[in-house]
Amino acid sequence: MKSKSKMLSAPYTIWMTIFIIVPVILVGYFAFTDKQGTFTLQNIIQVGEYSNVFIRSIWLGALATAISLVLGYPLAYIISQRTEKMQNVMIMLVMLPMWMNFLLRTYSWMTLLENNGIINNLLASVGLPRVQMINTAGAVVLGMVYNYIPYMILPLYNVLNKIDNSVIEAAQDLGADRRSVFLKVIIPMSMPGIISGITMVFVPAVSTFIISKMLGGGANLLIGDLIDMQFLGSAYNPNLGSAISLVLMVIILICMGIMNQFDDGENTGGMLL
Amino acid sequence: MKMKSKIYTFFIFLFLYAPIIVLIVYSFNDTVTGSRSVWGGFTLRWYRKLFEDRLIMEALRNSLIIAFSASFFATILGTIAAIGINSMKSLGRKIMMNVTNFPMVNPEIVTGVSMMLLFVFAVSLLNGRTLGMGTLIMAHITFCLPYVILSVLPKLRQMDPNLYEAAQDLGCSPFKSFWKVVLPQIMSGIITGATMAFTLSIDDFVISYFTSGTTQTLPIYIYSMTRKRISPEINALSTLLFAVVLILLLFANFRQKKAPSEKAAKGGEV
Amino acid sequence: MTHSIISLKNISVSYDGEQVLKGFNLDIHDGEFVTLLGPSGCGKTTVLRTIAGFVTPEAGDVFFNETKINDLPPHKRELNTIFQKYALFPHLNVYDNIAFGMRIKRKKESEVKKTVVELLELVNLSGYAHRGIAQLSGGQQQRVAIARALANEPKILLLDEPLGALDLKLRKDMQVQLKEIQQQTGITFIFVTHDQEEALSMSDTVVVMDGGEIQQIGTPIDIYNEPKNAFVADFIGESNILDGLMLEDFKVRFAGHLFPCLDKGFSKNTPVDVVIRPEDITFVPQDASHIKGEVTNVTFKGVHYEIIVDVDGFKWMIQSTAYQAIGEKIGLSILPDAIHVMEKSDYSGTFGDYSTFSDEMEEDMILEEEAELEDENEV
Repeated sequence: MKSKSKMLSAPYTIWMTIFIIVPVILVGYFAFTDKQGTFTLQNIIQVGEYSNVFIRSIWLGALATAISLVLGYPLAYIISQRTEKMQNVMIMLVMLPMWMNFLLRTYSWMTLLENNGIINNLLASVGLPRVQMINTAGAVVLGMVYNYIPYMILPLYNVLNKIDNSVIEAAQDLGADRRSVFLKVIIPMSMPGIISGITMVFVPAVSTFIISKMLGGGANLLIGDLIDMQFLGSAYNPNLGSAISLVLMVIILICMGIMNQFDDGENTGGMLL
Repeated sequence: MKMKSKIYTFFIFLFLYAPIIVLIVYSFNDTVTGSRSVWGGFTLRWYRKLFEDRLIMEALRNSLIIAFSASFFATILGTIAAIGINSMKSLGRKIMMNVTNFPMVNPEIVTGVSMMLLFVFAVSLLNGRTLGMGTLIMAHITFCLPYVILSVLPKLRQMDPNLYEAAQDLGCSPFKSFWKVVLPQIMSGIITGATMAFTLSIDDFVISYFTSGTTQTLPIYIYSMTRKRISPEINALSTLLFAVVLILLLFANFRQKKAPSEKAAKGGEV
Repeated sequence: MTHSIISLKNISVSYDGEQVLKGFNLDIHDGEFVTLLGPSGCGKTTVLRTIAGFVTPEAGDVFFNETKINDLPPHKRELNTIFQKYALFPHLNVYDNIAFGMRIKRKKESEVKKTVVELLELVNLSGYAHRGIAQLSGGQQQRVAIARALANEPKILLLDEPLGALDLKLRKDMQVQLKEIQQQTGITFIFVTHDQEEALSMSDTVVVMDGGEIQQIGTPIDIYNEPKNAFVADFIGESNILDGLMLEDFKVRFAGHLFPCLDKGFSKNTPVDVVIRPEDITFVPQDASHIKGEVTNVTFKGVHYEIIVDVDGFKWMIQSTAYQAIGEKIGLSILPDAIHVMEKSDYSGTFGDYSTFSDEMEEDMILEEEAELEDENEV
């Protein structure tokens, strides 16, 4: 019986092999060949020319992740302290914006941040000088935080909500005041949530190509834009594009590996929700 | 302290909802110049124009076809796969879980690009048709599958393994036992998975962008609009979509409240 | 008399408008092993949480060594709690769990190490210092929780049903160990349980509670032999409780007959409750006794038989090593010192004979109670 039901995953295995594993191998193949299909390291070497773009992407992505953590943690904590009914409502409110197409939401930020946009018009109407917001690195970070902060709040809320109240009472009982309870019990116990929150924000933030295009103008090119240009843009060169993708993938895998060092490995399933 | 946390919550939600409110308000903006930020009075003009726009309606239709078929196939394939994975020993299971998790941690753009390479390669091999609806549906099934599996697997793990045997012991054929006993137990996971698959599919831009060829889906159409100076039709469209989602969510919430909540049922077993 | 280390004066507590404790008074002496015993929902855990500082009473005062500590937050109270499900820190190993309190107090690491090693020895866990919490069995986790609480050198240790999650054998072992630890350290233990056997075997003083009120305080022997009312008699051990009339000192009438007894001090012709423990009744031939009946049920219990005898419709329970067959007609003999007379109380008539008795039902009731208890703790 058992051996028969194992076979049920065979169609899935075949599907994933064709549509996930083979494509990744193709990326590797393209990255190490030239247009004629002969082996070359030229593409990988060429990626080095774009190191400033890589550094900018990682820097802005890390910044957005850090801001999301700092802003999201208190909210997740506040939500976890409410009654169950209130928690459900608040979590739904956190998730609701994600149900609106993210292109539209990002587009709306353009309306807000433009030089003669809503925020600047408000500033002008109270006599303050207009501020250049759109097409700056700051706008890109804001867009990232805005789009991905729910992915930070949800896993944080999940771990915070699961912390047994008696553990907190035990810490108080052993002499810990509010501050020590927070630093020595709540923060360490929410580590798995922090780890998955960081991964879930950092990965899409570092590889985005829409946010930078819409809010960053031309000056804040990111890795995602670079890849886009090689496949569907003006600089058509799938070999170089594959090399960049491969490097991006390796960077992400290394980051995840480092992050997992901090985790005690109990939380492999907690990635998703 | 309480006051402080209330103010904090307010500002975070203001941040989350400000762009959405702006979108909705400006969908009623009566402007001639198409300016995005000057208020020119109330109008429903953009809604009327939206429904007259053949391109938008076609993109919407494509998106719906893709989302329905992708979530349908992903749900069936994923549920069957989850049952298979659940009965595996630790090593096989570990490999399958890594394969399942991979597309979820891999940057979307890399998944999109790699599938584009596959489809272009296949098209050149088969000397056949170009990218379009077919490739879009296949790509969408692929990125929806892990979500279905990860929704169904926990339900299977929660289920008492003796249930399936008990059903057979009471005279059900293996197929009937699955249909009558296992399926109802994991139904909530399947529905969650299917819903997630549908919403992910209809909302997807990055992967569709690389695998669509010339076919327009709604997000791709929106993207092409944002690159030009845009008509407020797009605001009207987003307002409508948001309203639909809101109504669906409220409906789902209402239905959930009527049925005894899962949490309460669990509490009884403790 | 030694002084009170903990004094509760007129404590009132309610949750969501439901009064749990009302005008509750209790004095606990230094160095005692005190058990709060009662069914679930009787308020015993609330008493404990009030002492620990997790519950703020609406009215009344809490004194610690004659100092009022009403407004002292839990982390400043010189007492520690052992929680029902242990509440060990899952992110710390055994060593760090035990060291937690001392590190909060910024003790020197060398001192911390010395204490942890000593405590691990005390609870028989030497060699487990660097295990993770999840790798320990229930009994081991329990002992880590004890060590963690003792590390802070508390004046009082509060134990909230600490043995509830353990299986029977382990439970008995831990009862002995806890008692030993209490005697070695001389710390005042306040122990909460709904298990009467546990309470009787471990405590110096037992506080029987029901409905947010104290029913009786006394030594285990007093509580068993001299229950104050029908509730205590029924809750502690098995009891046959009958309506009676105290005619005069040393004379009580019940079951239609006059019996000599050892009780006195009631006014003449007072209605009373009469308690006779099942092990204090012996079987005699029918002619040799006033109380004659028929055996309706016999259950083998290992050490003895539990025999139900129907006497004119009232079902007695008798525990005896002598087997009696169902249907046999026999007499019951009750000696004067087996009779215990109690004043009538609100509980009179609610407990009585064993007419609905069956083993299965009793088990159901225990299970039900435990389920209720868990619910209570979830809240």
